[in-house]
Formats: sequence, C-alpha cells, structure tokens
Amino acid sequence: MREYLLAAGGDVQVGEHLKWQVLGLAINADTVLSTAIAAVIVLGFGLYLAAKSKAKVPSGLQLAFESVTDQVERQVESNMGIRTAPFVVPLAISLFFFILIANWLSLVPHAFEHYVAPPTADVNLTFALSFFVIILVHVTGIRVNGKHYFRHFIEPYPVLLPLLVIEELVKPITLALRLFGNILAGTVMVGVLSLIPALASWLPISAWKLFDLFIGALQALIFALLTILYFGFATGSQDAEAAH
Amino acid sequence: MTSYNLAAAGGGGGNFLVPNATFFAELLIFLIVLGVIWRYVVPPVKRSMGERQEMIRQQIQESQQASKRLAEAEARYSAALAEARVEAAKIRETARADAQEIKDEMRQQAEQEVARIRERGDEQLATQREQVVRELRSELGKLAVTLAGRIVGESVADDARRAGTVDRFLDELQGMAAPESVPEQAKADGSVPVPNGRRKR
Repeated sequence: MREYLLAAGGDVQVGEHLKWQVLGLAINADTVLSTAIAAVIVLGFGLYLAAKSKAKVPSGLQLAFESVTDQVERQVESNMGIRTAPFVVPLAISLFFFILIANWLSLVPHAFEHYVAPPTADVNLTFALSFFVIILVHVTGIRVNGKHYFRHFIEPYPVLLPLLVIEELVKPITLALRLFGNILAGTVMVGVLSLIPALASWLPISAWKLFDLFIGALQALIFALLTILYFGFATGSQDAEAAH
Repeated sequence: MTSYNLAAAGGGGGNFLVPNATFFAELLIFLIVLGVIWRYVVPPVKRSMGERQEMIRQQIQESQQASKRLAEAEARYSAALAEARVEAAKIRETARADAQEIKDEMRQQAEQEVARIRERGDEQLATQREQVVRELRSELGKLAVTLAGRIVGESVADDARRAGTVDRFLDELQGMAAPESVPEQAKADGSVPVPNGRRKR
C-alpha cells in the first residue's frame, strides 16, 4: 500500500485503495465494492423499468428514461443508421446510466469516502469500460465491413498509416483517462477542501459536490456519445465505399 | 508546506494510472450489468415503448380521421343548407306565382259573375218593365176610358176609336218615361213627337 502525499500535514491521498489479495493479485476492494453498489443501483433501476413497462400511463422515471433513449436512438441513427448495429443503443444507454450512477457516488458524504468513492475515479473501471467498447467497435467494424474495414487505416493516404494506427490505439486510453481524470479531480478537490476546518468547509464542499453532479452527468454523456461515434466511424466506411 | 511525492510513484508496482487486477473484476461487474440489462430489461422496455408509440400513432390517425369526417359532414351540411335555401326560394316563387294566378282567376271569375248578374238583372228589369207596360196598357186604357166616360158621359163603345185614343195616350207616357220600347213606338201613328235618337236605331 503506497501513499501519494499531496499536502503535508493533511491526509489527501491519490490512488490509495484498500487492497484484497486474490490469488496473489492485488484488487482494489473499495473500487470493486462501489462498482458493485453502482451496478446494483443501475440494475434495480433497469428491472424497475422493465417491471413498470406494462403500465399504460408512463411514470416520470419512464418518461425520463425514454427521452434519453430517444436521444440515443437519434444519435445512433444519424451516425450509422440504427439497423447497422442495433445493440449499440442499449449498450450506450447502459454505459450512460452505469457511469452516471458511478460518478454520482461522489455525493456520498465525505466521511464514508474510504468505503464508497466513485469507482470511475479508479482507472481500472474506466479502462475496463473503454477497452470493452473499443474491442467491440473493431469487432463490429470487421463484421459489418469485412476486410474493407482495414482500408480505413490507409485512407486517404497510405502514408498516414502510423498516425491512424496510433489514433486507434489512443482511443481507448483517452476514453478511459478523460473520465477517470475528471472524476478523480472531483474527489481530490473535495479532499483538499476538507482540510479546511469543518465549520467553514461545508459550504465549498457542498458547492463542489453540486458541481461534481454536473461533471458526472457530462462525463457519462461524453463517454456514451463517443462510444456511439466510434461505432459510427467503424461501420460508416461501408457507406463511403458505396458512395465511391 | 507542500511536498508532492507523485514522482516517487513511478517506481515500484503502484502507479495509479496503471490498472491492476481490479480491471478484470470491474470488467466482470460491467459485463454482468450489461448481460442482465440485455436479457431482462431491454426486451420488455422496447416492447412497451413500441406499443405506446403504436398507440399514439393510432390515436393521431384516429383523430385525423375524425377531423376529416367532421369536415366532410360540415361540407355536406352547408351544401344541404344551400340546396334547401334554393329550394325554399323556388317554392316561395312558385307559391307567389300560384297566388297571383289564383287571384287573377278569381278576380276574373268575380268580374264575369258580376257582369252576368248585372246582365241578368238588366234583362229581368227589361222583362218586368215590358210586362208592366203591357199590363198598364190594358188596365190603364180601360180605367182611363171608364173614367173619361164617366166624366164626360160620352159613350165610348166604339172599340177602334177607343184603342186609338189609349194608344196615343200611352205613347205620350212612354215618350216621357222610357225610350226603349221602339216596337211600340213604330206602331204609333206619329201624331206624338218622337225624340231624334230613337229614329237612328
């Protein structure tokens, strides 16, 4: 267990996690726990929606969910055509709500943050999501376009091949680190603010947590949107092919 | 006051930017979430959303049909109204013409009736007058003769002379009263002055 000391005399630590040793591998226990909490919340929400879906008159929650769904469907439709990869819609929606709930775990009072920190402030979750998404993007691209899919590495000029390869390699890393950085910054900020004596710190901390609420929603949206865009890029070259 | 020890993290196995085995646990959790959503949440939600959209589409269609029917009914109504107005005007016109005709006819009939009645009245009057004249001629002659005979004591048994005297007398009377009895006049012997108008006839 290592400590990254940010402020001498304080206890703001970055990247410190409770560890479990499983089969000789270190596992961040707090991240796993809070991810599980986020998963339970998301699944509860989803199953509630599924159970309520028979109602003729939709509840407010259903309407909110459906407006998100409409938005996502429109995005997918405009980027790649919804028929090309219909699973992208539920994937993007699941990613959005899962990341949203995970980010909003930062609202848990500061006193509990050693147990329930937003799991997206740990690269393990964000990398897991981004690699999963990017691998799925490449698989979908190959399945939709066949061997033509690889042509986009040498278009418009073969000289650009190294750059385009790097671009593809960088995609999952940027996708993961963008989310991670934003959420981690929020938690660090709260940690720093909590060094202020408690009598005065409640106001800036509350303000910052409200801001975190906004950042969390924004980052979830960005992650889902980029997922759709990447799927669009990967499957869209077929249209370019047909246009030629 | 601040000492950043982040650089120190570069060595060893614990850079927080590098994922560790937690990666797989996180991936597993997310896959479970995705699997459960895919299996249990997506189908019913998709179905119900589809049903609701279908329902809304149907309702919109129905309302469009209803408004179309309403417009049709309104058009039919106004057409019928216009037709009825035309019909009413026609009927009124016909009725007015009929009334005029009936009035004219009745007036004509009445006039004819009046004329007929007047004619008959005239005829009756003429007949009565003639009768009266005839009666008077016989009665009045006798009475006058009797009276004259009595007064003058003269015997007037001679019929011919008597008739001449009476006739003359009556003609005078007639000349004063009625110019109609021409035949009587023609019979007269002309000693009595006769108005000019009668001759011309």
